[in-house]
Amino acid sequence: MTASLRILLIALTTLTFAAPARAHPHVWVTMHSELVYAPDGSITGVRHHWAFDDMFSAFATQGLESKEKDKFTRDELEPLAKVNVESLKEYDYFTYATVDGVKVPLTDPQPGYWLDYKDSVLTLNFTLPFKTPVKAKELKIEIYDPTIFVDFAFAKEKPVQLVGAPACKLDVVLPREMTYAEGKALSNIPADQQNTTMAWGAQFANKILVHCP
Amino acid sequence: MMSGRRSIIAQCALLIIGMLLLLGAVDVALAQPFGITRGSPPPEIGGFAGWIFAKQAEFYRMMSGTIRAAKADGSAAYTLMGISFLYGIFHAAGPGHGKAVISSYLVANNETWRRGVVLSFASALLQALVAIAIVGIAAVLLNATAKTMGNAVRVIEIVSYALIVLIGLRLFWVKGRALVHLLRPGAHDHHSHAHGHAHDHGHGHAHHHGDEEEASAWGHAHAPEPRELGGRHWLRRGLSAVVAVGLRPCSGAIIVLVFALAQGLFWIGAASTFVMGLGTAITVASIATLAVGARGLAGKLATAKPGAGMLLLRGFETAAAALIVAFGALLLTGYMVSERLMAI
Repeated sequence: MTASLRILLIALTTLTFAAPARAHPHVWVTMHSELVYAPDGSITGVRHHWAFDDMFSAFATQGLESKEKDKFTRDELEPLAKVNVESLKEYDYFTYATVDGVKVPLTDPQPGYWLDYKDSVLTLNFTLPFKTPVKAKELKIEIYDPTIFVDFAFAKEKPVQLVGAPACKLDVVLPREMTYAEGKALSNIPADQQNTTMAWGAQFANKILVHCP
Repeated sequence: MMSGRRSIIAQCALLIIGMLLLLGAVDVALAQPFGITRGSPPPEIGGFAGWIFAKQAEFYRMMSGTIRAAKADGSAAYTLMGISFLYGIFHAAGPGHGKAVISSYLVANNETWRRGVVLSFASALLQALVAIAIVGIAAVLLNATAKTMGNAVRVIEIVSYALIVLIGLRLFWVKGRALVHLLRPGAHDHHSHAHGHAHDHGHGHAHHHGDEEEASAWGHAHAPEPRELGGRHWLRRGLSAVVAVGLRPCSGAIIVLVFALAQGLFWIGAASTFVMGLGTAITVASIATLAVGARGLAGKLATAKPGAGMLLLRGFETAAAALIVAFGALLLTGYMVSERLMAI
């Protein structure tokens, strides 16, 4: 009896402590991102276009006033965009940049961010500037929510684009270890082409890797 | 027939505890100090626990499609109910403080498993009702925005977490005193006195709650027959736990309700919320039953070994009460987020 009691006690303690901040996603984001470069070849910012899922879009637009039913103009969505961007600050905009192995800070979005609403889907458009534009040999941008409340996934078509970049090689990769076959397939993709053909699968972090000469 | 059914229930409970242990293991693996986790992606969640996460996310996502489908084809509503039920079961097995608080409460108060099941179902029902009330009043009647609803939830959250702290503190006071008393020499004389005290209140229907708690705490120390004490008092007493846990609506339910409303199908969303609650209640009740089982075993051990066993029992109850306080305090101060609502 003592043994079974002990097992139950351990089980109980484990399950009681096993209730921290872990949820399944309630919001899905499909991303298009652009990396913006200055004429001198230094990266200046990350431009995001985040499309929310239909449930969250309906939730977020609930009660918002609009002239036309089920349609929202950029102006009508402006207060919501402000709330979105301001509350994203607390989560570092879910975007983390590493330049040549060193984490570099991104600053708050420039004014001029906006939301649009099309086919019952809200899309948030904003640019995160680098604190100081840098010339990066190896640039890594990671986008993820550590608490998995928001599930980020790159769009299938043209998920990432380089804007004004020097001759750089772009890869969009999954966080998990690549299998040998996948690695080989990836290495077979020509350097000047984007990796859009690989399987996307379930992922918690989305990585953009840019290698510049 | 009866024993067969019971063994099925036991197996279900074991399955769920297995899931939880796995989830717990994953949680421990992921637990890192704040600040450090930032910037490094969380490790991949694989295996069975990952499967549960994936499943509940999958069911949740399927809801939007079926609600949309129900607009054109009424029979899709049945599919929606099935998905909502499964989502409820999986969702309660995942995060959330409800099951922990209810279980700890039952253990600390030495409640029976039947009462545990009743309390689990009552809190899940209340949770569904609160979600429907918030969306019904705020969105349907007042056409309020998501932000307003988020603010309302936040206020409810604070009340709910504060209640948890209060319940925990009260229990901790009663159980902690019983423990201290047991540790003090010459406790036995007081026991017999307290025993009589308990009977007084039990039959006389005590009006002050504090006394009643104290009475039952002492009463158990001698004769572990809580059912003899207080009659239906447990329900009134349990109500505080039900309210504390059930007050905070599930954010998933709110989003589903608003989405259903946007499709002009609010009532289908409301039905789905209730079915979700049913699923949640089954999981929470299973876990609560398990907790009560552990407490029962400890009780048997206590009767077998009066000295050390009783000490263990009181220690167990006091620890459970302390856990409730800890949960409430962590939730209240925001160190533990049970669920986010307006994240973006």
